[in-house]
Amino acid sequence: MREPILSVRAAARHYRSGDTIVKALDGVSLDINAGELVAILGPSGSGKSTLLLIARLLEPPTHGEVRIRGTLVSKAKEQLDRLRDFRRRNIGFVFQKANLIPFLTASENVALAMEIDDVPAREARRHAQRLLAGLGLGHRAGNRPTRLSGGEQQRVAIARALANDPTLILADEPTAALDGARGRQVIALFRQIADTRGAGIVVVTHDPRSLDLFDRTVELTDGRIICERSGPRQGLTR
Amino acid sequence: MNLAFKDVRHNFLRFLLTMAGVGFLIMASTGMIGLYRGIVEDALLVVNKIGADLWVVQGGRSGPFSESSAVSADMDRRVEGIAGVASVRRFVQISQQFDFEGRDLRASITGLDFPKDRGEWVQLQEGRYLNAGHFEAIADESIGLALGDQVHLGRDDFLIVGLTHGMVDASGDGLMFVTVNDAMAIARRRTSEEILLARAAAGRTTAVNSSESSVPQDSKIAAVLVTLDKGADEKRVRTDVLAWGDANILSRADQRDLLLNQRLWRLRLQILAFTGVLLVVMAIVISLIIYMLTMEKLHQIAMLKLIGARNSVIVTMIAQQSFLIGGGALVLGLAMSQLVFPFFPRRVVIDPSDFAGLALAVGAVCTFASLLGIWRALKIRAQEVLS
Repeated sequence: MREPILSVRAAARHYRSGDTIVKALDGVSLDINAGELVAILGPSGSGKSTLLLIARLLEPPTHGEVRIRGTLVSKAKEQLDRLRDFRRRNIGFVFQKANLIPFLTASENVALAMEIDDVPAREARRHAQRLLAGLGLGHRAGNRPTRLSGGEQQRVAIARALANDPTLILADEPTAALDGARGRQVIALFRQIADTRGAGIVVVTHDPRSLDLFDRTVELTDGRIICERSGPRQGLTR
Repeated sequence: MNLAFKDVRHNFLRFLLTMAGVGFLIMASTGMIGLYRGIVEDALLVVNKIGADLWVVQGGRSGPFSESSAVSADMDRRVEGIAGVASVRRFVQISQQFDFEGRDLRASITGLDFPKDRGEWVQLQEGRYLNAGHFEAIADESIGLALGDQVHLGRDDFLIVGLTHGMVDASGDGLMFVTVNDAMAIARRRTSEEILLARAAAGRTTAVNSSESSVPQDSKIAAVLVTLDKGADEKRVRTDVLAWGDANILSRADQRDLLLNQRLWRLRLQILAFTGVLLVVMAIVISLIIYMLTMEKLHQIAMLKLIGARNSVIVTMIAQQSFLIGGGALVLGLAMSQLVFPFFPRRVVIDPSDFAGLALAVGAVCTFASLLGIWRALKIRAQEVLS
C-alpha cells in the first residue's frame, strides 16, 4: 500500500480561554493520498482552519502526530519555523484571498516561489510562464495583481502554489471570494492538478456546488470528523 | 529577483517623495555644517591669507578681531627696528555703511600698506591690484559693486579696480581693500555733531587750520603685521615688543584661537547645537520612514514566510530599501546643496570630509532603521497572512 501524502493521527489542538479549555480539534485522523482531491466541510468553529494550520506546519497539535510523505512534522512551536524549507518544497498554499505580492507581476509572483528555492531566475521565469499558460493566463503574465480579476488572481495563486511541484496542496476556502461559475472553475483546476500531477489536495470549503468534483468529503463538527464520504467518482464509503 | 527594486519601481512616486523629504533634511544638515565651516573660514580669512607671522596690537588687548585696538602711529617703525623682523605692514579695518546709487551698502574697509602691499595676497576674480596710493579700491563682489564703479567713502571717491569673490569678515560684510592712508582718512571722518562735542570736551571752539584737526584723534592703526626673517627667534621678538609696555604681540595661532574660541564660540556652539538637533531629527525621520515602510509590508512578509522564503530574503529586501532611500537622499541632498547654497547670503562651505561624515551618519541611521524594521519583520508569524 502506498504511503499517504498527508497523515494526521489523533490530532488534537486545545486552547486555553480563561479557565476553560477550548478543543478546536479533538482527535482527528485523516489520510490524504497522492492524486486525491479532498474537501473539508463544516460550520464555523468546527476545526477546519485549525486542521489546516496544523497541516501547514504553522501550529503544532497539542496531541497526536502529523506526517508528510512519512516525515514526522508535528514539532514543538519553537521548531516550526525551522520547517520553512520543508514547507517550501512539499506544500503549496492557496487562500481565500489570492495574497499576491502587489508590486510583482503575475509571472514574478509565481517565479518568486521558485527563486526563493534557489531556482535560477531565468528558469523560474520560464516555468512560471508555462504554469500560467497552462492555467489559461499566459496573456496576463506581465500584469500586476491590481490589473487582474478575482478569478485570475486566484489562478495566479494556484500557479504559485504549483511552482515548486509540491506533493500536497492546502487550500483554505479558495472560492469564497468568487462567483459560482468561477468557483467551479477553480475546483475543476484542482481536479485537473490532482489527476495530472498526482498531488494530494485538501480544500476547505463552504461551497456545496462543486462537491461532485471531489474524491472525498470530510465533515467536521466541534473538532471531530462526523462524516466522511467518497464522491461520485468513487462511490460512498462511510 | 530584487524585491526592493521591484517595490521601489511599483511605488516610484512615493519613493521619490520620501527620498526628496530625506534629501531636504540632509541638505539642511549639510547647510548647517557648511554655515559653521563658512563662518570659521570667513573669520580666519584675513589671518590666514595676509601672511603675517606676528601681530603687534594695543597693549593689554587682544587685537582688532577680538576688541578695539589702536597702536601708536610710529609703531611700525619701532617694530621694524627689532632684530629678526624682515618687514612690517600697518593694518586697519573698519566697518562702513555707505550709499551707492540709492542703495545702502556695507563693507569692511581693510587697509593695505601701499606700496609694500598692493593686495597681491588677495585672490582677484576680475580687474587688477592697487596701482596708486590713493582713491583705488578692490572690492568683494558680495558688497554689490562692479568693476569701474566710483564709490564715495569718507570725503573721497574711490574707483573699483579689482573684484574678489568670497572675501568677507567674521560678520559677513564684504572686504573692500584701499591703501592704509585712505582707510585712515575714511575712519577719521566725523559728523558735525561729533566734532562739536569733541571740541567742547577739549575746551576749544574753533578749528586751528585746515590741515590739522581741531580735536585730538586716536590712532586708527589697529595692528602692525610682522614678517620674520628665516630662522629668526620669534620668542626674542615677542619679549622685545612686550618690554615696551604699550603693545601686545600675538602669533597667527593666537589670533585663530582668539577668533574661534572667544569671539565666535557662542555662535559656533549654537550652530553645532542646531546641527546636532537636525541630525537627531533626520535620524528619527529616516528610522520612522523605514519602519513604516516595513509595517506596510507585514502582510507580504508573512506571505513570503508562509511560502518558505528564508529570513535572508526578507532582511535583504528591507535593508536594500533602507539604503536605497538613504543613498538616493544623500545624492539628492548634495545636488540640492550645490544648487541652492551659492545663493545664500553667507558662505556655506561643503567640505568633502564633512559630507563623508554625514554619509556615514546616514549609513548608520539606515542600518539602525533597517535593524528596527528587520526586528519587526522577523517577529511576524507566517500565519498572520491568514488574519
